[in-house]
Amino acid sequence: MPFVLYFVTAVVTGFHVYTLLSFAVYGVPVNLLELLSLLGSFCLLIAAYVSLFRPHAGARLALLACLVMWSFYAPAIAKIVRTRWGKPAAMSQLMGPTVGAMSKHSFIAARPS
Amino acid sequence: MILPYLAAVLLFLATAYSAIVSFRQKPDGESAGPSRIFPDRTNRPARIFVGFAMLILVIGLGLRFGTNGRNSAPRSFRFLIPEGYRGWVRVEFDIPGMPPLPTEAGLIVIKIPPSGLLRTSSPEQYGWARDTYVFYSNASLQPISDSGPAKLIWGKINGEETGSSGKRKYEEFFVGSEQQYKDQIDQPKPKDSSRDSHSPAAIP
Repeated sequence: MPFVLYFVTAVVTGFHVYTLLSFAVYGVPVNLLELLSLLGSFCLLIAAYVSLFRPHAGARLALLACLVMWSFYAPAIAKIVRTRWGKPAAMSQLMGPTVGAMSKHSFIAARPS
Repeated sequence: MILPYLAAVLLFLATAYSAIVSFRQKPDGESAGPSRIFPDRTNRPARIFVGFAMLILVIGLGLRFGTNGRNSAPRSFRFLIPEGYRGWVRVEFDIPGMPPLPTEAGLIVIKIPPSGLLRTSSPEQYGWARDTYVFYSNASLQPISDSGPAKLIWGKINGEETGSSGKRKYEEFFVGSEQQYKDQIDQPKPKDSSRDSHSPAAIP
């Protein structure tokens, strides 16, 4: 049970943060907390293995890794919750009339000059 | 889309479980035996097997992601633009029957004709790139600045549009001074949506 839980969590969170980090190739700046979370996923993977022969020590390591990962996930969740509760921006005002057939004129008009 | 939620839920469960196990006092007596939720240590062969499996997994993932970046195709373009050209440049990708783009010194060369429109069968490139721009003439090549006060490249975009001939991936940018670029933006948008979007207008 602990091994499976730690292992699956490490893989899922690690893959999630990796996909976020991969957006860096499109110019998205890398957040330090994302790297920290990736490190936490790796520690959780180690904790999964440790839990096989020292469950108590593995749990402590896993707790530490989880707390490190929360440093990324907690602000992210808080931001999502705040955004959902807040008033959404009227993005449709900036968009062109056709979706998928965006002309250069409509695209540029949406940019601040 | 479900991945972030799944990650958050699993992380919550792992945190709660590890916190309970970390701060749990071992009960004495018969109830201190292992359970499914709080199991005892596993036997040695299982530990060795799982250890090797995890090691192979980690090394495999490391090699996979490590080689992924190195073996990727060149992504940077070298735009050759006719000397004195002012206006929009448009490159359309994945057009069947059109010539592919040549590669020179690790850069994909895009030689723009005087019309400003180039169609190629080569695919659009994504990822890290440092594109360069050059004016070409019969005699020489002259670099074009795409930053700073002498910047001549503006409004670079890439995208995909759907028309009667199917989907088109394209890349566009404007060549000219800042004032010329702003004049282009301020131009009223054509009301006829069926205009030929594949013929960029050059400024005389």
